[in-house]
Amino acid sequence: MKLPFKINNKQKHLELLPNETLLQALRNNHFTEVKCGCNEGECGACTVLLEGKPVNSCQVLAMSVQEKEITTVKGIGTLYTPHLLQKSFAEAGADQCGFCSPGMVLASYSLLKENPQPTREEILVALDGNLCRCTGYVKIIDAVEMTAQKLHSNKLVME
Amino acid sequence: MLHQNLEWFFPHTTEEAVKLISQQGVILHGGGTRILKTSPKSIKGLVDVGKLNMNYIHHSGNKISIGSASTYDEVIRFSARTKKLSMLVKALSEAASTPLRNRITIGGSLKDFPIWSSLYAPLLALNAQIEIADKHDKIISLEEYLETGIIKTKHLIKRIILEDDPQVIGGVKRFVLIRFEYPLFTVAVALRTKQNIISDARIFITGVKGRYKHCKRAEHFLIGKELNDENIQQAKKHFAPKFVSDYKYSAEYKEHAAKVFFTDLLQELKGTVK
Ligand SMILES: Cc1cc2nc3c(=O)[nH]c(=O)nc-3n(C[C@H](O)[C@H](O)[C@H](O)COP(=O)(O)OP(=O)(O)OC[C@H]3O[C@@H](n4cnc5c(N)ncnc54)[C@H](O)[C@@H]3O)c2cc1C
Ligand code: FES
Ligand code: FES
Repeated sequence: MKLPFKINNKQKHLELLPNETLLQALRNNHFTEVKCGCNEGECGACTVLLEGKPVNSCQVLAMSVQEKEITTVKGIGTLYTPHLLQKSFAEAGADQCGFCSPGMVLASYSLLKENPQPTREEILVALDGNLCRCTGYVKIIDAVEMTAQKLHSNKLVME
Repeated sequence: MLHQNLEWFFPHTTEEAVKLISQQGVILHGGGTRILKTSPKSIKGLVDVGKLNMNYIHHSGNKISIGSASTYDEVIRFSARTKKLSMLVKALSEAASTPLRNRITIGGSLKDFPIWSSLYAPLLALNAQIEIADKHDKIISLEEYLETGIIKTKHLIKRIILEDDPQVIGGVKRFVLIRFEYPLFTVAVALRTKQNIISDARIFITGVKGRYKHCKRAEHFLIGKELNDENIQQAKKHFAPKFVSDYKYSAEYKEHAAKVFFTDLLQELKGTVK
């Protein structure tokens, strides 16, 4: 069946089955920027924002979130128009294979939107559901701190 | 895998929801995180709790009501605003991960009661009440809900009710090796004290043989006593939860660890006795 969803500020119709997770429904409908790692709720590769809050899309049944605002990493910035946070990830060297990056970026985005000047501990808590097998996390945390610093020094509001 | 012909229902009233779940193979859907793990093919229908107005936390007089569709994260945020529920919130803040806490509901976690539950030990220690609806609505203690086996029947959980008692001090500890891991056990202690003397105590541990244990012997020992080093060491002897060995840890090891956690918890509480 084909059902309407609100994804990245646009109405989209997803072809899906009633037993599918949001992760399956998104990937089967070309939102392949949402990654599948463990399918168990443990790695965070499948993170999307639901009403602005990060969730593991592999742990959400798609039918249950039909009326909610869904944001994938392409909803905050693209390759040609990257978000400040995505630029910081590149500058800090926070991506290696890049598989965790969509989830990491979205979890960090949600944190900074609510708390533009987080402490290191607050960053650790916000990213506690996202695993990275490459970077050792330090550069990811640096990227979040770098964004916070840019927001502060340029008096910017997190959009 | 859930069945691909699964039917979804989005009722607006709890009466409708209760009627729907009276059908065979039809169950409630909270956050869905457990339904997805167990995914039984026998499930024919899911009744979503999202439109039942059970997503709230109210504080009135000395009672706090937590609607069953509230997520762990929403309870944590309520506590950050009001400075209430600190013991429960410590346990919930450590549960699972940030994205999961945004999804896991109180109702789904109570009905499911996984062995790694972060919710049960603090709620039992705080002597929480639970409001459920099946043919009739009723409010019972959470302990009775477990003891009488009501948990195993088909019903809808509406809310949890907690007393906001400034005389009660409490703490909770879970056994994990890393931050994001299913806890092996969770121990919770709530004490009411008067002029340094313990007048009431509730001690619970989850993750044990039989899922949970009300540690009455340790409670009886502590009531009427001061919380000092000597009594804490004595209380440890009366705290004897039984565990099942698994591929990682023997039952003896878990019992030893639980005793250490229990005494650490009492030591921490010692500093806060009123
Ligand atoms: C990787 C991972 C780690 C986790 N770690 C922890 C942890 O450390 N601590 C912890 O406490 N939890 C943890 N959890 C969560 C726990 O295992 C369950 O998945 C969760 O508690 C279920 O809640 P839910 O809202 O998703 O329930 P659902 O999956 O929606 O439902 C579970 C059961 O409850 C029933 N139900 C749902 N709502 C109601 C209601 N209102 N009334 C009556 N019945 C209802 C359903 O029919 C179903 O039988 C973890 C989960 C995952 C995936
Ligand atoms: S794929 Fe969803 S958490 Fe790993
Ligand atoms: S960059 Fe490879 S998993 Fe994080």
